[in-house]
Amino acid sequence: MIGYFKTVFLSTWAFIEGLWITLRYLFKPAVTVQYPTEKLVPYDAFRGALLFDPATCIACSLCAKACPSACIALASQTHPETKKRVPKPEWYTLDLGKCNFCGLCQEACPTKPKSVWHSLDYEYSFSSRDEMVRCWKPGFPLAGRVWDPRRKEFRDLESHIPVREVEARK
Amino acid sequence: MQSEELIVTEGGLEMDTMFVNMGPQHPSTHGVLRLGLTLAGEVITKAFPDIGYLHRGTEKLMETRSYHQCVVLTDRWDYCSAMTNNLAFCLSAERLFGTQVPPRAQALRVVMCELNRIASHLILLGTYGIDIGALTPFLYTFREREMILDLYEKCCGARLTYNYIRLGGVAADIDSGWVAKCREFLEFFKPRLDEYDTLLSFNPIFLARTKDIGIISKETAVAWGLSGPNLRGSGVSYDVRKSEPYCGYEQYDFEVPLGASGSCWDRYFCRVQEMRQSVRIVEQALAELPTGELMAKGVPKIPKPPAGEAYAHVEAPRGDLGIFLVSDGGAAPYRLHVRAPCFINLAILQEILVGKKVADVIAVLGSFDIVLGEVDR
Ligand code: SF4
Ligand code: SF4
Repeated sequence: MIGYFKTVFLSTWAFIEGLWITLRYLFKPAVTVQYPTEKLVPYDAFRGALLFDPATCIACSLCAKACPSACIALASQTHPETKKRVPKPEWYTLDLGKCNFCGLCQEACPTKPKSVWHSLDYEYSFSSRDEMVRCWKPGFPLAGRVWDPRRKEFRDLESHIPVREVEARK
Repeated sequence: MQSEELIVTEGGLEMDTMFVNMGPQHPSTHGVLRLGLTLAGEVITKAFPDIGYLHRGTEKLMETRSYHQCVVLTDRWDYCSAMTNNLAFCLSAERLFGTQVPPRAQALRVVMCELNRIASHLILLGTYGIDIGALTPFLYTFREREMILDLYEKCCGARLTYNYIRLGGVAADIDSGWVAKCREFLEFFKPRLDEYDTLLSFNPIFLARTKDIGIISKETAVAWGLSGPNLRGSGVSYDVRKSEPYCGYEQYDFEVPLGASGSCWDRYFCRVQEMRQSVRIVEQALAELPTGELMAKGVPKIPKPPAGEAYAHVEAPRGDLGIFLVSDGGAAPYRLHVRAPCFINLAILQEILVGKKVADVIAVLGSFDIVLGEVDR
């Protein structure tokens, strides 16, 4: 009988102690962020979705070699007359569906500023695997378009545009 | 559910045993684990953990990747403490190469791994509470974990899969702002530990659910090869940081908390005390942070180690994580084996679940703190 009341007392006391902690936090500002109306800005080092700048790329394929999951493919331009390789990318594709967000490609890139770099963008969504492959071609606005392997052409995304252009971190 | 065979209880009552699948989609199995339970009434007569739902074959994948690229894959084993995975692989590979890691990188490795230990144990505190039926501590522990992830994000850019500890050193340096922020977190965190004790550790309902449940004796724990807090909960003092110090752990002053009886609560409380020790280690490491290089000199882009083999193990939050590397002189490991603590800790379930009630399964399973990413690799 005494044991019973002791248990009841101890449990009630623990309950009150717990509620006391809750009560103290009740009057402090909330730590949660009301996404999407409020958004956190990541730190500068944040490794978000990759972006690519065809203007500075020298088509050296170091990034493609550094990548552990073979996300990157590219081809360099050839000179129309001499048929020699020109250090400019003809096209460049990045498969965000395979990407580990590891940063090895960014570290391997020899150009200054980096031609491939992690943006701070963490809001991207895709509705098919094709859309995860991002393509770039110099002078041609491909960002946000996907290569359709069946129709053999670039098409606009059906869903939300996944990756926004964010200023380069130089 | 299917009925299996007829058994006769002590009172002479005839009853069917029942086979119950728990998982793979069960909120309390912490991932995709299936437990096959044979029940006589409410009592378990046979239990087996069925694993492999998360198998990604990373050991095989690494045989085709360079050593730098392998580090990326190690992040994916125990995704709650990716730093220690990075470290175990790098230590093993560094042994193979004979690389000397600069002192500042060593200290940074210790800071990051201990923060990761806190973050990882906070997950256990929160989710174990939920398993048992206490939702509130989860909200508090994840608030603190968020701060650690913020620190990681500031330093290395990722919040879960860091790829921070590299062959020969670490990837990024910390500045004075980071140190100040980290100290601020530690000061904030210390009183929180007492709050957890009030909310969860010494709560009579929690105690009733976990004390004297799932008791593992010292001998059984050693026989099944348990490690980490699961072993120390049974009172066996074994910690790789003490028995075989790496990264200069011998310089730091910390204790190895031990449990008394090996019950679920002891295993749980070991982790709470370990967090206090981790705070101490981080404070010491930050106080005497050496200056200097972050990376050892002469680590090539495509490292090719001499043929041979190396083993290194570290004290991960879940136990003794070891990496065995065999090289044939090529750019990729010839063979890599992971001594995954979660996988080995899980095996003991077959023995200790027998004779327990169904309601205790969750309490016992939760106290082992398994991560299925590491169990299946
Ligand atoms: S971040 Fe890593 S996985 Fe992604 S493209 Fe770069 S190297 Fe490949
Ligand atoms: S992005 Fe950088 S590493 Fe990749 S091909 Fe261009 S210049 Fe080379």
